[in-house]
Amino acid sequence: MTNAYQFAKDNQERFLEEYIHLLKIQTISTQAEHAKDVAEAAEWLKNMMLNIGMEKAEVILLPEGRCPLVLGEWHGAGEDAPTILIYCHYDVQPAIIEDGWDTDPFTPTIKDGRLYCRGAVDSKLHVMSNLKAVESWLAQDEKPKVNIKVVLEGEEESGSENINAFVAKHPERLSADIAVISDGTILDPKQPSLTFGLRGLCSVELHVQAPMADLHSGHWGGTVHNPIQALSEIIAKLHDADGRVTVPGFYDDVEDLTDEEQALVKQVLPNIESEWKEVVNAPQQFGEAGYNVAERIGARPTLEINGIYGGYTGDGMKTVLPAKAVAKITCRLVPGQDPEKTVNQVRDYIRQIAPPTIIIDMPIMEAGAPAVKLDVTSTAMQAGKVAYTHAWGVEPVFELAGGSVPITFECMKVADEVVIMSYGLKSGRAHGPNENIYLQNFYNGIQSTIKFIDEVGSRNG
Amino acid sequence: MDKALQFATDHQGDYKNQLIDLLKIPSISTDPAYSDAVKKAGEWVVADMQRIGLTAELIETQRHPLVYAEWLGAGEDKPTVLFYGHYDVQPASLEDGWDQEPFEPTEKDGFLYARGSADDKGQFFAHVKAVESILASEGKLPVNVKFIIEGEEESGGESIEAYVKNHSDRLSADVVVVSDTSMATTEQPVIVTALRGGVSMELHVTGPESDLHSGSYGGAVHNPAQALAEIIAQLHDKDGHIIVPGFYDDVKALTPEERTAIAQAGYDVDELTAETGVPQPYGEPDFTILERIGARPTLEITGIAGGYYGKGFKTVIPQKAIAKISCRLVANQDPDTIFNLVTKHIADITPSTVSAKLIKLKGGRWAQMDIVNPMMQSAVRAYREGWGYEPIFMREGGSIPIVAHMQENLNAPVVMMGFGLNTDNLHAPNEHFSLDHFQRGIQTSIHFIHNIAE
Repeated sequence: MTNAYQFAKDNQERFLEEYIHLLKIQTISTQAEHAKDVAEAAEWLKNMMLNIGMEKAEVILLPEGRCPLVLGEWHGAGEDAPTILIYCHYDVQPAIIEDGWDTDPFTPTIKDGRLYCRGAVDSKLHVMSNLKAVESWLAQDEKPKVNIKVVLEGEEESGSENINAFVAKHPERLSADIAVISDGTILDPKQPSLTFGLRGLCSVELHVQAPMADLHSGHWGGTVHNPIQALSEIIAKLHDADGRVTVPGFYDDVEDLTDEEQALVKQVLPNIESEWKEVVNAPQQFGEAGYNVAERIGARPTLEINGIYGGYTGDGMKTVLPAKAVAKITCRLVPGQDPEKTVNQVRDYIRQIAPPTIIIDMPIMEAGAPAVKLDVTSTAMQAGKVAYTHAWGVEPVFELAGGSVPITFECMKVADEVVIMSYGLKSGRAHGPNENIYLQNFYNGIQSTIKFIDEVGSRNG
Repeated sequence: MDKALQFATDHQGDYKNQLIDLLKIPSISTDPAYSDAVKKAGEWVVADMQRIGLTAELIETQRHPLVYAEWLGAGEDKPTVLFYGHYDVQPASLEDGWDQEPFEPTEKDGFLYARGSADDKGQFFAHVKAVESILASEGKLPVNVKFIIEGEEESGGESIEAYVKNHSDRLSADVVVVSDTSMATTEQPVIVTALRGGVSMELHVTGPESDLHSGSYGGAVHNPAQALAEIIAQLHDKDGHIIVPGFYDDVKALTPEERTAIAQAGYDVDELTAETGVPQPYGEPDFTILERIGARPTLEITGIAGGYYGKGFKTVIPQKAIAKISCRLVANQDPDTIFNLVTKHIADITPSTVSAKLIKLKGGRWAQMDIVNPMMQSAVRAYREGWGYEPIFMREGGSIPIVAHMQENLNAPVVMMGFGLNTDNLHAPNEHFSLDHFQRGIQTSIHFIHNIAE
């Protein structure tokens, strides 16, 4: 065993300070006013890559993108050694204290072993776990037996145009034998898990307009189809009572789970059920009849209303009949489904059910991504299994993640194998208020990546 | 009376400039940040009334002050008229889609564009200027005159309700004139004979404990934005008929005479689509458009919010979604009964996967006016002679809860002398008021004051 592991333990405190420094930078990629913060973080990360001994580091922004990626490279293992590409993203979702945070979302706060901050789990945890693992390796006399590329994306939360364009134009810059996507969550703090499937995503906005301008509800109410009501009537027709999506053809291309996959899903069901109670805790479970909660999350597509607005929603009442109401809709996709086809099925169905009393518009705001399934027997997956077992002291289970990591698709273009090494937790409330992570996950994550580098190197002989 | 009419004509420039000064004060009563501006507007009105010879005072209340003014020099044997109006306005900001600052009045093509120009500063001010014209030209008024002008009509109106109830002697009058309504065209002025009541509420639908990542949990939790939409979709049938059980039980059916009277105003589908820009009209098929507006109750969703609504997407399952609901009520619907019926219906249709809570915001009763009353006939004559056109009687879709309240507490007939146009964009961007209507309104009021003296 090298002493990279010990190095990481000895430097734990400094690593945490650096993680906190990164968390304070408000890298909200969805909001143009934070472009400066995103750029600041990119520069800071580039310098860190150079400081920890990577040979090259570069901040890259192509005309297609808005927020830069940071690419660091170390080729010290030589041309014959395998190359691993580690992907993480350093941008975050928007957050304001009014959303229900107990502390300021960009003031990292440690309480009961958890670190609270926007980005704590999604995904600066991964950025820092991996960079600190690479640092721990490069600090040793005995260098890693694999070449290492680290690519950090700055607009994962807002479209990924930059990295997608970079993959399309310069695939050789990211080419690798194994791509490690480090993002997402494991099953629970004591039970690591390896994701073998990710849902895809497509999105569309639904704009409903009736009158040209807002009207006084007293003067016109009863003669004009209220756009909020009309929008609600359309939304209400998108699911049946069991939560099954009613869009014709929506499930046509869905590939059902194999028996083996179903067995893997069954293994994690108890964890998912108890997690549902802990994190969701809605009055009652909901979802497609005939599927358990693990299948609903991992193996079935969805159609979600992520946002709805129209009219006056301040204090008290404004008796307005609004001109317009809007809903933001995304679909989670499973293997077999095509994002463009699905989004058009949704649009066609809405056009078909929209009444003639309103005018609708359905702009597609960003490109979607298909779902991904990964081979559990690959070298990358098996090295991941060893790494988790080393860091957590428990063998990981295999699971289907409900979320979408569209980058997986891009990584498949530049690497022979892909593995998703997640160190987060669902109870970390990614995208919600009071996002947090156990500090132990950060430390385990570092150890896990150190072991992963070790394992891939030694498997190569 | 001719002297007063001439005086008003001669001073229209002054009156317009005074109105502009009043419109510059952003007296938004719904927003606490504007409390000082509301008070400033009240003080401005008091000062103007004192200047023209009335005894006027600002009456402090729990919230926004009331303006009270009187001139009782006509003597006890002469009738007394009480004018009601409101000096507060709806919120407005340039970002809502105004072509110019809403509190920098702009004159264009004979219209004055500003928040409050039609609702209601321009309207009540016409009566103030009528009184000024008579006092300035004739030295006295032929009747006793009182004004009660409130500062929170747009935000509840609790203060005036309490004041009317507790000071009915001070406000006692033989007729109450309310100018806060509108007409379709200058050539066809309208005296409103019925107002809808209302009850407003807020519906909260909650699901998970906090916002969730839609990837992590989508498909395994009832999305509250979706659930709220599903509840809202079960409040009307496809024709726009409200399906809350019992909602229409107390609605007084229209008589054939009433339906004929309503039809006289002559309003058709083309006019509706032209005025509102809707692709097609909507509503209960058994009723004409004018009946739907004036004689039928409604249930409108005036606002909805849930989840992320900034730019782009945030793949979140919101913890909560809310809707604002406003019902317009007609005779003999009771606001509390309706609120209870809606509460029960929503409880019945809410699935067990989410929680729903309905909160009552405000209720107000409908009102009906007697068209054969002599005061009403004086108003008809005043329009004919002062406005220049014969008025028609019409039911109005909006609610002015204080009207029913004054009818009850002051035991006096109410005459709704509106001077606005339906197209004045009340509560919306680019609200405006015709300066021609302002002048005609002053002339009509001068005629009315003289008519009721006879």
